[in-house]
Amino acid sequence: MTDLTPITALGAKTARKETYDALTLSENPELALASLALRRDQTPPSPFGLRLPDPGHCADKGSVAAFWTAPGQWMIEAPGRANEDFAARLEEEVPGGSISEQTDAWTAIEITAKNSAALEALMQKLVNLDPAQIAPGHAARTGLEHMSVYLIRRSETHLAVMGMRSFAAALWHALVTAAARIDQTA
Amino acid sequence: MLIPHPLLGLRDSQEFTYLGDAALMDRPDPAGGNAEAAFTDYVFLRDNPAGVHRELWFHEQGDRSWLVVTRDTVTHEILGAELARDVKLNEEGAQ
Repeated sequence: MTDLTPITALGAKTARKETYDALTLSENPELALASLALRRDQTPPSPFGLRLPDPGHCADKGSVAAFWTAPGQWMIEAPGRANEDFAARLEEEVPGGSISEQTDAWTAIEITAKNSAALEALMQKLVNLDPAQIAPGHAARTGLEHMSVYLIRRSETHLAVMGMRSFAAALWHALVTAAARIDQTA
Repeated sequence: MLIPHPLLGLRDSQEFTYLGDAALMDRPDPAGGNAEAAFTDYVFLRDNPAGVHRELWFHEQGDRSWLVVTRDTVTHEILGAELARDVKLNEEGAQ
Protein backbone atom coordinates (compact mmCIF):
# COMPACT_ATOMS: atom_id res chain seq x y z
CA MET A 1 0.00 0.00 0.00
CA THR A 2 1.22 3.51 -0.75
CA ASP A 3 2.75 5.03 2.31
CA LEU A 4 1.32 8.54 2.63
CA THR A 5 2.74 11.02 5.11
CA PRO A 6 0.47 13.85 6.17
CA ILE A 7 2.05 17.29 6.06
CA THR A 8 0.86 20.65 7.30
CA ALA A 9 -0.03 23.55 4.99
CA LEU A 10 3.54 24.83 5.36
CA GLY A 11 4.90 21.50 4.18
CA ALA A 12 6.34 20.04 7.38
CA LYS A 13 5.42 17.12 9.61
CA THR A 14 4.83 19.37 12.58
CA ALA A 15 3.24 22.80 12.88
CA ARG A 16 5.58 25.74 12.45
CA LYS A 17 6.03 28.15 15.31
CA GLU A 18 8.15 31.27 15.63
CA THR A 19 8.58 33.59 18.56
CA TYR A 20 9.66 37.21 18.57
CA ASP A 21 9.96 39.58 21.52
CA ALA A 22 6.30 40.34 21.93
CA LEU A 23 4.66 38.04 19.39
CA THR A 24 4.38 34.30 18.85
CA LEU A 25 3.08 32.95 15.55
CA SER A 26 2.03 29.35 15.22
CA GLU A 27 0.41 27.30 12.51
CA ASN A 28 -2.77 25.57 13.71
CA PRO A 29 -3.30 22.45 11.56
CA GLU A 30 -5.66 20.83 14.09
CA LEU A 31 -8.54 23.25 13.52
CA ALA A 32 -11.72 21.69 12.16
CA LEU A 33 -13.84 24.04 10.05
CA ALA A 34 -17.25 23.92 8.46
CA SER A 35 -19.22 26.72 6.88
CA LEU A 36 -22.90 27.17 7.60
CA ALA A 37 -25.35 29.08 5.42
CA LEU A 38 -29.00 29.38 6.30
CA ARG A 39 -31.74 28.84 3.76
CA ARG A 40 -34.22 31.63 3.16
CA ASP A 41 -36.47 32.27 6.18
CA GLN A 42 -34.67 29.63 8.26
CA THR A 43 -34.57 30.49 11.96
CA PRO A 44 -30.98 31.00 13.16
CA PRO A 45 -30.01 27.82 15.00
CA SER A 46 -27.72 27.39 18.02
CA PRO A 47 -25.30 24.63 16.99
CA PHE A 48 -23.55 23.05 20.00
CA GLY A 49 -25.34 25.61 22.20
CA LEU A 50 -23.48 28.43 20.47
CA ARG A 51 -25.30 31.70 19.81
CA LEU A 52 -24.27 32.59 16.25
CA PRO A 53 -22.50 35.96 16.29
CA ASP A 54 -23.74 39.21 14.77
CA PRO A 55 -22.13 40.75 11.64
CA GLY A 56 -18.45 41.48 12.18
CA HIS A 57 -18.23 39.40 15.35
CA CYS A 58 -16.98 36.05 16.61
CA ALA A 59 -18.13 33.93 19.53
CA ASP A 60 -17.08 30.79 21.30
CA LYS A 61 -18.70 28.37 23.66
CA GLY A 62 -16.91 25.43 25.21
CA SER A 63 -15.02 23.57 22.52
CA VAL A 64 -16.52 25.28 19.46
CA ALA A 65 -16.36 28.79 18.06
CA ALA A 66 -17.92 30.67 15.17
CA PHE A 67 -17.37 33.84 13.23
CA TRP A 68 -19.68 35.73 10.91
CA THR A 69 -18.67 35.60 7.23
CA ALA A 70 -21.67 37.02 5.31
CA PRO A 71 -25.37 37.71 5.88
CA GLY A 72 -26.85 34.42 7.10
CA GLN A 73 -23.45 32.69 6.89
CA TRP A 74 -20.91 31.64 9.48
CA MET A 75 -17.75 29.59 9.78
CA ILE A 76 -17.86 27.15 12.68
CA GLU A 77 -14.50 26.21 14.24
CA ALA A 78 -13.57 23.29 16.46
CA PRO A 79 -9.97 23.38 17.70
CA GLY A 80 -8.14 20.05 17.79
CA ARG A 81 -10.78 18.14 15.81
CA ALA A 82 -9.36 18.28 12.26
CA ASN A 83 -9.28 14.48 12.05
CA GLU A 84 -13.04 14.18 12.62
CA ASP A 85 -15.88 14.54 10.14
CA PHE A 86 -16.82 17.85 11.73
CA ALA A 87 -19.21 18.91 8.95
CA ALA A 88 -21.28 15.79 9.65
CA ARG A 89 -21.42 16.68 13.37
CA LEU A 90 -22.60 20.17 12.42
CA GLU A 91 -25.22 18.78 10.06
CA GLU A 92 -26.73 16.85 12.97
CA GLU A 93 -26.97 20.14 14.89
CA VAL A 94 -28.45 22.19 12.03
CA PRO A 95 -30.83 20.09 9.96
CA GLY A 96 -31.78 21.88 6.74
CA GLY A 97 -28.81 24.29 6.76
CA SER A 98 -26.28 24.39 3.94
CA ILE A 99 -23.03 23.03 5.35
CA SER A 100 -19.67 22.62 3.65
CA GLU A 101 -16.58 20.93 4.99
CA GLN A 102 -13.79 23.55 5.15
CA THR A 103 -11.10 21.82 7.22
CA ASP A 104 -7.68 22.14 5.53
CA ALA A 105 -9.08 24.46 2.87
CA TRP A 106 -7.79 27.19 5.15
CA THR A 107 -4.62 27.58 7.08
CA ALA A 108 -4.97 29.23 10.45
CA ILE A 109 -2.07 31.12 11.95
CA GLU A 110 -2.57 31.90 15.62
CA ILE A 111 -0.80 35.02 16.84
CA THR A 112 -0.43 35.53 20.56
CA ALA A 113 1.07 38.68 21.97
CA LYS A 114 2.37 39.88 25.31
CA ASN A 115 -0.02 42.82 25.06
CA SER A 116 -2.71 44.11 22.75
CA ALA A 117 -0.48 47.01 21.63
CA ALA A 118 1.91 44.60 19.90
CA LEU A 119 -0.98 42.94 18.04
CA GLU A 120 -2.39 46.30 17.00
CA ALA A 121 1.04 47.49 15.82
CA LEU A 122 1.34 44.36 13.69
CA MET A 123 -2.09 44.82 12.14
CA GLN A 124 -1.43 48.51 11.48
CA LYS A 125 1.34 47.38 9.15
CA LEU A 126 -0.72 44.72 7.42
CA VAL A 127 -4.39 45.61 7.05
CA ASN A 128 -6.41 48.72 6.30
CA LEU A 129 -9.03 48.37 9.02
CA ASP A 130 -10.14 50.51 11.91
CA PRO A 131 -8.74 48.85 15.10
CA ALA A 132 -12.32 48.77 16.46
CA GLN A 133 -13.22 46.35 13.67
CA ILE A 134 -10.75 43.80 15.03
CA ALA A 135 -11.25 44.52 18.71
CA PRO A 136 -11.70 41.46 20.99
CA GLY A 137 -14.84 39.58 19.98
CA HIS A 138 -14.71 40.89 16.42
CA ALA A 139 -13.88 39.13 13.17
CA ALA A 140 -13.36 40.58 9.70
CA ARG A 141 -12.47 39.49 6.20
CA THR A 142 -10.14 41.82 4.36
CA GLY A 143 -7.12 41.97 2.07
CA LEU A 144 -3.61 41.42 3.41
CA GLU A 145 -0.86 41.94 0.82
CA HIS A 146 -3.46 41.14 -1.90
CA MET A 147 -4.47 37.91 -0.16
CA SER A 148 -7.98 37.52 1.23
CA VAL A 149 -7.84 36.65 4.92
CA TYR A 150 -10.12 36.29 7.89
CA LEU A 151 -8.98 38.02 11.06
CA ILE A 152 -10.49 36.63 14.24
CA ARG A 153 -9.69 38.44 17.47
CA ARG A 154 -10.14 35.65 19.98
CA SER A 155 -9.05 37.76 22.95
CA GLU A 156 -7.14 40.91 23.87
CA THR A 157 -3.82 39.18 23.17
CA HIS A 158 -4.81 36.52 20.64
CA LEU A 159 -5.61 36.99 16.97
CA ALA A 160 -6.06 34.28 14.35
CA VAL A 161 -5.29 34.98 10.71
CA MET A 162 -6.90 32.53 8.32
CA GLY A 163 -5.94 32.37 4.66
CA MET A 164 -6.43 29.87 1.88
CA ARG A 165 -4.20 26.83 2.23
CA SER A 166 -2.77 27.32 -1.27
CA PHE A 167 -1.01 30.53 -0.23
CA ALA A 168 -0.09 29.47 3.31
CA ALA A 169 3.62 30.05 2.70
CA ALA A 170 3.08 33.56 1.32
CA LEU A 171 0.82 34.44 4.23
CA TRP A 172 3.33 33.09 6.75
CA HIS A 173 6.07 35.10 5.06
CA ALA A 174 4.03 38.32 5.19
CA LEU A 175 3.22 37.83 8.87
CA VAL A 176 6.69 36.89 10.11
CA THR A 177 8.34 39.67 8.09
CA ALA A 178 6.04 42.23 9.71
CA ALA A 179 6.39 40.61 13.16
CA ALA A 180 10.18 40.75 12.95
CA ARG A 181 10.07 44.45 12.13
CA ILE A 182 7.75 45.17 15.08
CA ASP A 183 10.46 43.52 17.14
CA GLN A 184 13.20 45.77 15.88
CA THR A 185 11.26 48.97 16.43
CA ALA A 186 9.84 48.02 19.85
CA MET B 1 -12.24 56.34 -0.39
CA LEU B 2 -14.33 54.72 2.36
CA ILE B 3 -17.63 52.97 1.74
CA PRO B 4 -20.11 52.87 4.63
CA HIS B 5 -21.10 49.21 4.57
CA PRO B 6 -24.56 48.91 6.19
CA LEU B 7 -23.49 45.92 8.29
CA LEU B 8 -19.76 46.41 8.79
CA GLY B 9 -19.22 50.16 8.95
CA LEU B 10 -16.62 52.15 7.02
CA ARG B 11 -14.48 49.92 4.79
CA ASP B 12 -11.75 50.76 2.30
CA SER B 13 -12.99 50.91 -1.29
CA GLN B 14 -10.05 48.67 -2.28
CA GLU B 15 -11.97 45.78 -0.73
CA PHE B 16 -14.72 46.33 -3.31
CA THR B 17 -15.09 45.83 -7.03
CA TYR B 18 -17.32 48.06 -9.10
CA LEU B 19 -19.95 46.81 -11.49
CA GLY B 20 -21.87 49.85 -12.71
CA ASP B 21 -25.28 51.49 -12.75
CA ALA B 22 -27.70 50.10 -10.15
CA ALA B 23 -30.36 50.10 -12.88
CA LEU B 24 -28.80 46.75 -13.90
CA MET B 25 -30.84 45.22 -11.07
CA ASP B 26 -34.03 45.93 -13.00
CA ARG B 27 -33.78 43.34 -15.74
CA PRO B 28 -36.60 43.63 -18.29
CA ASP B 29 -39.11 40.84 -18.73
CA PRO B 30 -37.84 38.65 -21.63
CA ALA B 31 -41.43 37.59 -22.31
CA GLY B 32 -42.70 41.18 -22.52
CA GLY B 33 -44.01 42.64 -25.77
CA ASN B 34 -41.20 45.22 -26.13
CA ALA B 35 -38.47 42.83 -24.88
CA GLU B 36 -36.06 43.52 -27.75
CA ALA B 37 -36.11 47.29 -27.31
CA ALA B 38 -36.05 46.96 -23.51
CA PHE B 39 -33.01 44.65 -23.63
CA THR B 40 -31.18 46.90 -26.10
CA ASP B 41 -31.62 49.70 -23.60
CA TYR B 42 -30.71 47.43 -20.64
CA VAL B 43 -27.57 45.96 -22.19
CA PHE B 44 -26.12 48.88 -24.19
CA LEU B 45 -27.42 52.22 -22.94
CA ARG B 46 -26.20 53.80 -19.72
CA ASP B 47 -26.89 57.14 -18.12
CA ASN B 48 -23.66 58.97 -17.40
CA PRO B 49 -24.66 61.68 -14.96
CA ALA B 50 -22.35 64.38 -13.64
CA GLY B 51 -23.67 64.27 -10.11
CA VAL B 52 -25.53 61.79 -7.95
CA HIS B 53 -25.34 58.23 -9.27
CA ARG B 54 -26.58 54.94 -7.83
CA GLU B 55 -24.20 52.11 -8.58
CA LEU B 56 -23.48 48.48 -7.72
CA TRP B 57 -20.39 47.59 -5.72
CA PHE B 58 -19.35 44.08 -4.67
CA HIS B 59 -17.60 43.62 -1.33
CA GLU B 60 -15.21 41.07 -2.76
CA GLN B 61 -12.53 41.10 -0.06
CA GLY B 62 -15.16 41.27 2.65
CA ASP B 63 -18.51 39.66 3.17
CA ARG B 64 -19.19 39.33 -0.58
CA SER B 65 -22.44 41.25 -0.44
CA TRP B 66 -23.66 43.46 -3.25
CA LEU B 67 -24.25 47.07 -2.27
CA VAL B 68 -26.09 49.91 -3.91
CA VAL B 69 -23.81 52.88 -3.30
CA THR B 70 -24.99 56.43 -3.96
CA ARG B 71 -22.02 58.48 -5.12
CA ASP B 72 -21.56 61.97 -6.48
CA THR B 73 -19.51 61.44 -9.64
CA VAL B 74 -18.28 65.05 -9.57
CA THR B 75 -16.89 65.10 -6.02
CA HIS B 76 -16.59 61.32 -5.37
CA GLU B 77 -18.52 61.92 -2.17
CA ILE B 78 -20.28 58.75 -1.02
CA LEU B 79 -23.79 59.69 0.07
CA GLY B 80 -24.97 56.31 1.28
CA ALA B 81 -24.88 52.54 0.84
CA GLU B 82 -27.48 49.85 1.27
CA LEU B 83 -27.57 46.11 0.70
CA ALA B 84 -28.74 45.41 -2.86
CA ARG B 85 -30.73 42.51 -1.45
CA ASP B 86 -32.73 44.90 0.76
CA VAL B 87 -33.28 47.30 -2.15
CA LYS B 88 -34.68 44.49 -4.29
CA LEU B 89 -36.83 43.04 -1.51
CA ASN B 90 -38.25 46.50 -0.75
CA GLU B 91 -39.08 47.00 -4.43
CA GLU B 92 -40.82 43.63 -4.57
CA GLY B 93 -42.66 44.38 -1.34
CA ALA B 94 -43.87 47.72 -2.72
CA GLN B 95 -45.35 46.15 -5.82
